[in-house]
Amino acid sequence: MASEGDRLLIQQIRQGDQRAWETLIARYEGRLLAFVERRLRDRATSEDVVQETFIGFLNSLPHFDAQRELQTYLFTIASHKITDHLRRSGRHPLHPASDHHGDVLQQQLDLHPAASSLARSQERRQLESDAVVRCLGSIIQQWKERGDFMRLKVLELLLVKGWGNRDVAAHLKITEQQVANYRFAAVKKLTEKIRAAGLPPDIFPQLQD
Amino acid sequence: MANRPPTHGLRSMAKITREQLHGYLEDCLSEAETAQVEQALRESEPLQRMLRGLMQERDRGEHSVGAIWCRERLSCPNREQLGSYLLKALDPALQDYITFHLSTVGCAFCQANLADLQALQKEPAPKAKERRRRFFQSSAGYLRVCHTGK
Repeated sequence: MASEGDRLLIQQIRQGDQRAWETLIARYEGRLLAFVERRLRDRATSEDVVQETFIGFLNSLPHFDAQRELQTYLFTIASHKITDHLRRSGRHPLHPASDHHGDVLQQQLDLHPAASSLARSQERRQLESDAVVRCLGSIIQQWKERGDFMRLKVLELLLVKGWGNRDVAAHLKITEQQVANYRFAAVKKLTEKIRAAGLPPDIFPQLQD
Repeated sequence: MANRPPTHGLRSMAKITREQLHGYLEDCLSEAETAQVEQALRESEPLQRMLRGLMQERDRGEHSVGAIWCRERLSCPNREQLGSYLLKALDPALQDYITFHLSTVGCAFCQANLADLQALQKEPAPKAKERRRRFFQSSAGYLRVCHTGK
């Protein structure tokens, strides 16, 4: 969720307040530049991409949900701009400049459904994603407040990195049984919350294992 | 990126997971892990097939909980905590978790925030000011469009 300061800033920017826009740039340009430079490894190009990110933000501002966290939204725009740049320069392994039919990009584009069904699908996906953010976000917040960082580490490695129980146990120096117990309890809790939010858990394959 | 944390979480190319591919599509991976995945994609047909399958699943409306977790930064420390982390002023358990999040998970967003905080201590102020001025000048016209809707 956006902070009170960011919400006020967005409100002022929507009213055309130039000083608010300057403030937003000063607040976020450094971290965006570091994020982009990590991928592009070229300062001047990275600055161009950050510039495009800010312009992209203003263009999308009428559709921006002020409840969303501003920083996350800006990183998402920057990520799209990075992909655009890598695609244009033929440096993206999924988006090579050649039109070789065997490449993954070509097949990715071919696999995309029609625009109207994609738009419907995107809207539904966003609603489902928002529900996970609420459910999982509250669980993670509880772990943090309790100082239960081992549980958080286990679930982050399992769900975010996709490690197996054995690797997680070895890395964190706990037993595989402990890892399995943590996984079982977290998946159960999350599945219950997702059901309570009115969503079918089977759209989340990781919760079916 | 200065003083980037070590990436203990990097694994061998043969062990690239579906979730790493999700992370790659979401741009959540560290610089080193991104390079590792890209290299593996260039060299491995099965991995490319896995990626295609994964994209089809996304099109069918399936979700990766892990991808949502990293994209929405559900466990990321906030900026103030990262600042305190640099000063080693946090509770040891939280300090340890943030090290894990930065190095083992390799969160690209938090690494960028940390790099920015470190750069703020080193970069001459006039240079940053000049860069911000350029960003502002190149975008201020869109601010008017955004306001008036024209």
